[in-house]
Amino acid sequence: MAEKDRVYKFLNPVGLQLPVKTYPLAPRLDKLDGKEIWFSITGEPDITIPFEKRLKADYPNVNWKVKKTYGPVQVPLSDEEMETADAVIQGVCW
Amino acid sequence: MVKQEALVNGMPNVRFIHASRTMAGPIDVDRMIGPVIDGLLQPLTDKEKEAGLYNPQQSRIIFEGTMEEADVFFSQTRHVPKPLNAPISIYTDGLPIRLPTEERVKEMLKGTSHRPDEMITYQYPRMALFGEEMKKGDLVRFQPMKWTATVEKVATIAVMAGCKPADLPVVLAIAESGVPTGTTVYANLWTCVSGPIVKEIGMNAGLGMLGPGNPANSAIGRAYQLMAINLGGAVPGINRMSSIGSPINRAGLCFAEEVDGLPPGWKGLNEEHGFRKDENVVMVMWTEGGMDGAQFSPGGYRAFQKSGHGGIARRLGVKGKPGPHNFLDFILPGIWAGGREGPRTFIIVHEMAQHLYEMGYKSKNDVYKYIWEKGKEPLSAYRNRSWVDLTTNGWMGIDRQSGKPWKELPDDYMISVAGDNPDENCIIVCGSDEEVCVQMTGGPRSGLGANPFYRIDAWK
Repeated sequence: MAEKDRVYKFLNPVGLQLPVKTYPLAPRLDKLDGKEIWFSITGEPDITIPFEKRLKADYPNVNWKVKKTYGPVQVPLSDEEMETADAVIQGVCW
Repeated sequence: MVKQEALVNGMPNVRFIHASRTMAGPIDVDRMIGPVIDGLLQPLTDKEKEAGLYNPQQSRIIFEGTMEEADVFFSQTRHVPKPLNAPISIYTDGLPIRLPTEERVKEMLKGTSHRPDEMITYQYPRMALFGEEMKKGDLVRFQPMKWTATVEKVATIAVMAGCKPADLPVVLAIAESGVPTGTTVYANLWTCVSGPIVKEIGMNAGLGMLGPGNPANSAIGRAYQLMAINLGGAVPGINRMSSIGSPINRAGLCFAEEVDGLPPGWKGLNEEHGFRKDENVVMVMWTEGGMDGAQFSPGGYRAFQKSGHGGIARRLGVKGKPGPHNFLDFILPGIWAGGREGPRTFIIVHEMAQHLYEMGYKSKNDVYKYIWEKGKEPLSAYRNRSWVDLTTNGWMGIDRQSGKPWKELPDDYMISVAGDNPDENCIIVCGSDEEVCVQMTGGPRSGLGANPFYRIDAWK
């Protein structure tokens, strides 16, 4: 067999994906009024600041709670906050 | 990118909407608020109710065939749509690679005592990106896909990059960083080796060390990029979004410092950062803001130092006076004038380090203090910079220099733009002769580059 016809095995350089348990989305709300909804802001204040104002103005009967950072990594809700939260709107920026 | 991030965090069906890059905020909110509220109220679809396990399998052997066929296999591209709209290599940096046959990888693995099937883990406790605390033995997650790797996979990539077995411990140490690829801005990924291994593996720490020609510098630098592509799953236009990219990342950048001939009292990078002089470490840097250099003609620099002749001497008011003179006074005012605030890594030649020493700077720390003081400006001016709204957390945080809340500081408070502390700056001395200073944005103790030193000896 000519050298050019020799068959080799080539190793896989691609990284390994560890198994990830995937979850269903949280149940949706039947209404907004009276609910505790967190608006978690990251970066891009020219969008998130008017967004926060608009949510509070358009939906005054929601108990709005806000987590705020100007960085790219969100401030997580604590366990206590998670217990009473009905929903979260999470801003994400890169 | 959102879908990938959601998947690896266990929420593959997350509801999301993109904000606009160009609309004014309030107008964009008009557009988004309806879909966002709908996202809270609309009942879940069957798919959104699904739970399961994402567990893709892969084979140790990726291809079997002749060398010619493997060339074709490893040269595959995929088309990435706008904003890129061009083919992007799947396994390489766009250039042909040295094909990773089983035999070549086995030979490469002779460069380390670690087992081929050993997972890449942190060899010492450390702070990773965004302040995450990692323990010894924690798995390294390669960015951006958070994949993991074995020693054999890193050796496979070392073969592809053209490394020799002796280079492998350096590549493994770089792998321990998780090889981040930066964000949307001008991210530069570069590595600098410090310690006796520089000579042992024949790295170029002298003339042209940032450029082409040296096998070890080039192959190790390339290995970083090939790891980002293969171990991190980084794809331009998909999850690697540096806006117009950086030439530093095209083929990778690794270089070395030249400690022989440092001025008395000046330490190499390893000693400066708490390691012994005989320990081998690699500094793995992700710096955003670019690189700048050669602010003076080398001949002009020599005339300035030797006899106080020329434009530099005129600007600094030392015309006709022989040196040593402080060349930093010539370049520092311009560094932060239009460029990004923050510390800098200065790459200079021995002669220039000697001039600073003769000026009275008996250690690198003395120079860092000088740079930091020269970087002071009133808070009123500092507020007008680009990144400060982010780095001060919208001015809600504490100024680390004074320890006081930003909002309590007066307009005339003097703040250094050269990092929170003097030693966030860095000097790397190389062995060339021609007088040139290159500045990389960022330093080894600043921001995202916190604790960027990895022990090469741990991977021998």
